[in-house]
Amino acid sequence: MTEYFLAKYNFWIYVVLMMIGLYAMMGKRNLVKKLIGMNIFQTSIILLFVSAGVKKGGATVPILRHSDYGPEHAEHLIRVADYLNPLPHVLMLTAIVVSIATTGVALATLILIYKRYNTLEEDEIMAIRKDIRSYKTPRILRSKD
Amino acid sequence: MRKWFKPISLATVILTGMVLIYGIHDMPALGDPDSPANRHISPRYITEATRKTATPNIVSAVLGDYRSYDTLGESAVIFTASISCLFLLRRIRRQRNHDD
Repeated sequence: MTEYFLAKYNFWIYVVLMMIGLYAMMGKRNLVKKLIGMNIFQTSIILLFVSAGVKKGGATVPILRHSDYGPEHAEHLIRVADYLNPLPHVLMLTAIVVSIATTGVALATLILIYKRYNTLEEDEIMAIRKDIRSYKTPRILRSKD
Repeated sequence: MRKWFKPISLATVILTGMVLIYGIHDMPALGDPDSPANRHISPRYITEATRKTATPNIVSAVLGDYRSYDTLGESAVIFTASISCLFLLRRIRRQRNHDD
């Protein structure tokens, strides 16, 4: 029973990480904390895919050794079990780029939100927007007078 | 409503986590060389990529040769993100200059 859980301990870690990110996105009210939660979520997915490419038993990074390529070497000399699965690495390279792009655009949007509302707390922003929609002076401006 | 927001999201997170943990039982063990991800197309990449693309690094060979359209779309994503960051942040500076 213990061995059964230990053989897949990586998935438990990813589930815990993913749920931390999901809770940060749903339960927190600060927009920066929500963004960090999204980053943790993406990191857990990236780890999950990279761990799908792991091979036990002496496999190394998917860069061919010098003894494995060259004009004199036939195709059958390369042992598949000697190298890690390159496909998850490639796909996660793309996923990292996409996550960087979304984080950058989100941070730029957060700067704009902070300039406009002077806060990054979600409930305060909602209160200000409610005041604006009912043609009242926003609470923050009222308290300054 | 505001008071129940955090308990409801915590319950949702715990439920989703339990569903995911139930899904773990179908996943292959860590480092299994015969797992489905390691059997389908990756042996072909490992044995043929260097011979076909003359690149010892298989990751670069797949990224730049087999899946070059994917990489082209990826660079389009970066381009779009950088352009949108540029436009989002440029408006602030113009407003500030207008106020001065």
